[in-house]
Amino acid sequence: MKKIIEVKNLTKEYKSLKAVDDLSFDVYEGEILGLLGPNGSGKSTTINTILSLLNFSKGSIKIMGKEMTPDLYEVKKEIGVVFQEVAVFEELNVYDNIDYFCGLYISDRKLRKEYIQDALELVGLEEFQKYMPKQLSGGLLRRLNIACGIAHKPKIIFLDEPTVAVDPQSRNNIIEGIRTLRDRGATIVYTTHYMEEVEMLCDRIIILDKGHIIAEGTLDELKSLAKIEEKVTVEGIVLNNKCLEEINSFKNVQDMKYGADILVVTYKKGKNNLLELIDYLKDAKLQYDKIFSERPTLNDVFLELTGKDLRD
Amino acid sequence: MIIFKAFLKVLNKYKATVILYTVILVFFAGFNMKDTKSNQGFIAKKPDVLIVNNDTNQGLTKDLIDYISKNVNIISIEIDEDKINDAVFYRNVNYVIYIPEKFREDFLSNKNPKIEIKSTGDYQASLASLILERYMKVATIYNNKGMDEASLISNINNTLNKEIEVEVTSKLDNDNLSKLTSFYNFSNYSFLAAVVFIICLVLTSFRDEKINKRNIVSSTNYKKFNQSLLFANIFFACLLWLIYVLLSLILFGNIVFTLHGLLYIINSFFFIMCAVTIAILLANIINNKDAISGIVNVIALGSSFLCGAFVPMDFLPQSVIKIAHILPSYWFIKNNELIKTLETFSWVNIKSFMFNLAIIGGFMIMFISLNNLVSKCKRKKC
Repeated sequence: MKKIIEVKNLTKEYKSLKAVDDLSFDVYEGEILGLLGPNGSGKSTTINTILSLLNFSKGSIKIMGKEMTPDLYEVKKEIGVVFQEVAVFEELNVYDNIDYFCGLYISDRKLRKEYIQDALELVGLEEFQKYMPKQLSGGLLRRLNIACGIAHKPKIIFLDEPTVAVDPQSRNNIIEGIRTLRDRGATIVYTTHYMEEVEMLCDRIIILDKGHIIAEGTLDELKSLAKIEEKVTVEGIVLNNKCLEEINSFKNVQDMKYGADILVVTYKKGKNNLLELIDYLKDAKLQYDKIFSERPTLNDVFLELTGKDLRD
Repeated sequence: MIIFKAFLKVLNKYKATVILYTVILVFFAGFNMKDTKSNQGFIAKKPDVLIVNNDTNQGLTKDLIDYISKNVNIISIEIDEDKINDAVFYRNVNYVIYIPEKFREDFLSNKNPKIEIKSTGDYQASLASLILERYMKVATIYNNKGMDEASLISNINNTLNKEIEVEVTSKLDNDNLSKLTSFYNFSNYSFLAAVVFIICLVLTSFRDEKINKRNIVSSTNYKKFNQSLLFANIFFACLLWLIYVLLSLILFGNIVFTLHGLLYIINSFFFIMCAVTIAILLANIINNKDAISGIVNVIALGSSFLCGAFVPMDFLPQSVIKIAHILPSYWFIKNNELIKTLETFSWVNIKSFMFNLAIIGGFMIMFISLNNLVSKCKRKKC
């Protein structure tokens, strides 16, 4: 596959702090690459550096085979950016905002009009064209923010946490929109700290922590890094020490946590772990509200690799 | 073009403010015109004078009394010191002249008799004092030449009755020029307030950190982007300037088409361009839209008060005038006042005007340099 973005040994320092430390990765044409990491892991700094919004101390960045510089306008033309913060004019209505940001890339009025309609449709804002930003809810504002970033139909799109503080309906709409953009052939770099979104959307994932890449690969590849294969959670259960010891002695159990009437048992591997636990609880005549089994998540991978939770 | 279009659309949201400042200017101009008309022509009021003559009413004494009577209102009250004091206290009499006994005789024999007076100390009394002094000075000059009383009186009257014809050689339309000067002086406030307020607001929107990031990552050349914004700012300023010039034409008519009018227009153009540079600098420094209104009020009202836009410079204390030198408004208003007095347009006369324009130009260069410095510092922070 063709490399669209090549980042090599990228280092960005703020005085003594290394926000991005010797980062190297490639983004391939037509894929959605997820940059996942907790707050302060260097996701936004990486994107801002790629976009030449920030200088960098070491390394190189190539986009579409060309060394990225602030005045590489022919490449910039193919890039769309949706920043974390909503960046629109309070004085312009929805249509005029999209028109302005699209107009920074496309001067043909007729074509722009067409593109604006497409963008409005993609984010579901057709009915709100004449609304002022102040009149929009948080979710609709986020959608407008996205429309402003992608209206010019770029080949490469950077989405920096586009779903932060968004209601479920808008989130679904945004995720659907991103899928549509990918289907139209765009290459997308998507940063978030919501692992569910990454799991739903991304073809490849890079997990960042403290400016380093700690893992990279497809979802399955990453999940294979976790030492656990299954996690069973029992809610609303009261257990004594004897019961806990007995459960802990089951064959495949790797770890066990109990607190606030919730029991979480993680298994290295094996089959029928859930069944075994249900049978034990039934035999011991123990009551519980809910029991369910999960495959390891990216959070478990992160926990495994860093010893801390992704959302810490 | 899209930047210019967006600028105008954002500007459109603030049109009410521009209209407000224009209405204030028109209101002031209208008020000023009415005020000037009411001051046209005045009637001099003669002072009320009481003459207490202790001499005989003959010869030089009689002539003195006749001369004074001709130029003042003679008040007659009972010659009683208490009553005279009361009349002075209640301003029924402005000036009391006590002609001493043997005044005529003593004066003719060069003994310098002393005329006592009582005065209310106001301008009416000063006028009466001036009339008395004038007679006495002329009389003393002729008396020193040693002539007889008849010749003395004749010479005094000849001299005092001579009326000097003063020919006003100035062809300036002072009344209209004063009004036009007041209009352009006051426009200092409207120009500053409207230009700085609007440009700051619009530029703060464009330079909002989040929006600016989008502008920078776009494929529009950032230099061209800034040039478009600058062009839009200048376009707005020129439009506003044109409206104000047209307004002066509507209010003051043909005088705007004279050379004086042209100088006012040139001066105001320089000043509004200077206001644009102030606005651009402020927009670069201020990031908070809510703070703009307060800062603009301080700048527009402050410099208008300090530099004589509202109150003529002549009425301002020297210390204030000294401080005002550091503000471009001072040089703009100074130039307006200068234009009003220009009789001819020779290089000598126009030199001061050009000098003041150059200083306004200097301020423009200073604000542009400061703006570049601030931008450089901001870029270094990245």
